[in-house]
Amino acid sequence: MFKPYQSETNFDEMLEKDGSVRSHYQDFHKVMDQFSEAELREKHETAQLSFLRQGITFTVYNDNIGTERTMPFDFIPIIMPPETWTMIEKGMRQRVEALNRFLDDIYHNAEIVKDGVIPREFVEQNPYYLKKQVTGIDVPLKNHIFLAGIDLIRDQEGTYRVLEDNLRNPSGMSYVYQNRYVMRQVYPEFFNRHSIQSLEHQLSHMHEAVLDHCPINCLHEPRAVLLTPGMYNSAYYDHVFLAQQMGIELVEGRDLYVRDNIVYVKTIRGMQRVDIIYRRIDDDFLDPQVFNKDSALGVPGLMSAYKKGNVSILNGVGNGVADDKAMYAFVPEMIRYYLNEDPIIPNVDTYFMRNIEQRKWALENLDQLVVKNVGASGGYDMLIGPHATNEEIDRFRKKIEEEPHQYIAQPTIQLSRAPAFQDGRFYPCHVDLRVFVMRGKKTHVLPGGLSRVALKEGSLVVNSSQGGGGKDTWVLKGGESNHAEQSS
Amino acid sequence: MLSRVADSLYWMSRNIERAENNARVLGVQLIQMLEASSEETLARHDWEIVLEICGSVADFNRLYPKMSTNHLIDYLAFSEDNPNSILNCIKYARENARTTRDIIPNDLFEVWNNLYLEMTEIRISEGSLRDIQHFLNRVKITAMTSHGIVDSMMTRGVPYRFFNVAKWLERAEKTARVLNILNDQSAADQKKADGTNYYYWRSALQLVNGYEEYLKKYPPRMNERDVLSFLISDYSFPRSIQYCIDHIRESIISLEGGRVSHYSWRMYAALDLIIDEFDEQKIRSLKEEGISTFLDDFQNKCNDIGRIFSETYYLVEPSKTS
Repeated sequence: MFKPYQSETNFDEMLEKDGSVRSHYQDFHKVMDQFSEAELREKHETAQLSFLRQGITFTVYNDNIGTERTMPFDFIPIIMPPETWTMIEKGMRQRVEALNRFLDDIYHNAEIVKDGVIPREFVEQNPYYLKKQVTGIDVPLKNHIFLAGIDLIRDQEGTYRVLEDNLRNPSGMSYVYQNRYVMRQVYPEFFNRHSIQSLEHQLSHMHEAVLDHCPINCLHEPRAVLLTPGMYNSAYYDHVFLAQQMGIELVEGRDLYVRDNIVYVKTIRGMQRVDIIYRRIDDDFLDPQVFNKDSALGVPGLMSAYKKGNVSILNGVGNGVADDKAMYAFVPEMIRYYLNEDPIIPNVDTYFMRNIEQRKWALENLDQLVVKNVGASGGYDMLIGPHATNEEIDRFRKKIEEEPHQYIAQPTIQLSRAPAFQDGRFYPCHVDLRVFVMRGKKTHVLPGGLSRVALKEGSLVVNSSQGGGGKDTWVLKGGESNHAEQSS
Repeated sequence: MLSRVADSLYWMSRNIERAENNARVLGVQLIQMLEASSEETLARHDWEIVLEICGSVADFNRLYPKMSTNHLIDYLAFSEDNPNSILNCIKYARENARTTRDIIPNDLFEVWNNLYLEMTEIRISEGSLRDIQHFLNRVKITAMTSHGIVDSMMTRGVPYRFFNVAKWLERAEKTARVLNILNDQSAADQKKADGTNYYYWRSALQLVNGYEEYLKKYPPRMNERDVLSFLISDYSFPRSIQYCIDHIRESIISLEGGRVSHYSWRMYAALDLIIDEFDEQKIRSLKEEGISTFLDDFQNKCNDIGRIFSETYYLVEPSKTS
C-alpha cells in the first residue's frame, strides 16, 4: 500500500529523486509492503498504547495545567548506512571536544577572546555566561560536557548540518530506548533482515562516565545521584529512565542538604554524603543562595560545595554560554582554533541581527529566512519566513528592530523528509536527528540517536511540545549493508 | 533509601490497600443492602457504618444534601473531595508509584497506571449496580495483582519491607476500625432489639473478607467473642490484627538486621505493647461494657504504630517546636 512519491525539492531519507527506494532501505521496504492496511493500523495502535501504558509521557503546559502526553511514534525508521554513521560520529566527537575546550577556556583565561576569534561582547553579554560564579573552578577531567544532544538536519543535497548544540540538560535519550523497545515488540518482522548497532551497553558507558567525574576531594567510592525537578517536569520520564538504567538514585532538591560545604542526601538512616550530581535542573534553579532566590527546586549552598571541589555537577554550571543560538555561529571557528582541524559537519549559515548590514539584508528577505530568538527553545518565538503570513512577518520585523541582539536569522533549509504512517496513510514528513555524546574518561556516541518527525503535514517543527513525534534510528552494521545489496 | 522515596513507597502501599479495602466494603454493602431491605431497623444504620469505615459521616453530610445510594456511591468511589474515595486512593497510589518508578518493578507501575487511565475514562450509568460492581472488582483485582507482582518480583530488601509494613499497618487499622464501629452499632441496637447481633458480626467478617475462613474454624454461628478473637488474635488469618502486627514486627526485625538501636527502640516498644493485648483469654474475659473501651484503645494503639514508624525512618518532618 506504500506509494512512492516524487521528492524533488527535498532530500528524502528513503527514496531517490525518481521515487525508487534507496538501497539501504530496500530490505525494510520489502517487509513493509507485505503488511495489509489493517495490519498496519493495528500495529500503529498497539505501539501508541504501549507508550501510554508504560507511562512514557512528557508534560505539555497549557494554561498552566500540565497534561501528560505520549510522543506519537512512527514505525518507519531512519536507516543509516555504516559509513554515514562513522562520519557523523567523528564530527560529533570533534564538535563536542571543541565546545568543551571553549568552556574550559572562557572560565579560565579566555584566550579565545584575547586572540580575537570570538568578539568579547558575545561572551561577556551572554546571559548564560556565569563569569562571577564559575570562573576559576577546576572541574574533574576538565570536562564541562558530560552529555551533549546535538541536533542535526539534512539539506536539499542530503548534507548533514548541525542545527543546535544542547549542552545543558539535553533530553530524549529514554525515547531512543523506548522507540527501539516498542519497535521490537510491535514490528519484530523488520528485525530479521537487518543487523543493527545495538544500544545495549551504552548506558553502562554512561554510568562509567558519570563516575569518572569523581570530585578532587573524594577519596572514597563516589556516590552519584540524578537531580530532577520532580514528576511535574516535562522530561520526568527521561530522568526516571536514566536513573533506573544507571542504577543511581533519583533525588529532588529537597532530598539534598549542604553542611560545611559537603552535600548530603536524606535517607531513612540519616544523612549520607553525595559526590556526583547529574543534574537535570537549570542553572537558575540550582542554588537559591547564588541564583534565583525564589527557587524551591534547588539546594542552598550547592555552589560553594562545587567550588570547594567537594561535589561534581554534571553538566557543568554555566554551559549555556556555549549552546546559545548566537554562539552557535562561532563553533566552526572554535574547532579551527582549539583543534586545528576543519569542521567535519558544517553549520547552517547564521546572520546576526545585531550586525547592521546583516540586519538590513535580512529585514528585506524575511519571507525567505528563519528567525530565532537566541534565548528561546522548543520552537517558541520563531519565524519561518516562507510559511508565515504578512502580519507575522511584520510582527517579527518590529521585534528585530526593537531588540536586534535577541535575534539571529538563517536561510530556510529544505529539511530532509521521510515517509510516516499516520491516520492510515503514508506521507512525507520533515525529520531531524538528535545525537547524544557521552563524555567521561572516554567519549561514546550513542549509535543513531533520536529521530524526530514533524507529523503535522507540511510542518517544519519537530519539537515534541509542538506536536512532533519520534522514529527509531537504525545504524546498520558494517558489511551488513553489502549483504543487503547482494540479497536484493 | 531516600526518606522521600520511602515515604512515597509507604503511601503508595497504604493507598493500594485502602483502595482494595474500600472497594470491598462498598461492594459488600451494596449486596447486603438488597438482602436486608426487610430488616428495616437494622438496615437503617448500614450506610452510616460504611461511611464511618471508609470516610466520615460528617464529611458526607457537608458535601451532599441527603442520603441516597447514588450520593453514597459517588462519595465513596469517585468524589474528588473525599481524600479516601477509591478514585483518590488510585490517584495517590499511581502518583506515588510514579515517584518511585526507579525503585518498584515496572509491572507494578503499569498495572496502576492502567487502572488510573481506565478510571479517568470510566462512565457509570446512574444507579447501575452492575457497572459499579464491575468497577469495584477491577480495583480489587488490580490490588491483588500488585501484591502478586511485589511478592514474585521484588528483592527482599528495604523497599520490599517498607511496602509490606505499610500494607499491614493499613490492614490492621482497617480491621480495628471495622470492629470498633460495628461493636458500637451492635451495642446501640441491642438495647432495642431482641438481643441477636448476628447481623453485625457477620457484616464485620464480610467487610474484611473473613467470612469463609471464619466458618472453617468456628461453627456457623455468630458468637461475638468468637468473631472478636478471630479478627483480633488469630495468628493464621492474614487480615487479623495479630497476623498483621506479627508481620510488621518481623519486617522491622529484617530491616534492622535483628538489632534494636537507639532510633528504633520506640518502634519495638509500641509493637510489644500491642502484642500484649492479643491474649485470647483476655479478649474472652472482657466484660460487655469493657469491649468498647478495649477496641477504642486498641485502634489508637494501631494508629500510634503508624506514626512511630514514620518518625523512626524520617518519613515525616519532625514537628517544629518553638
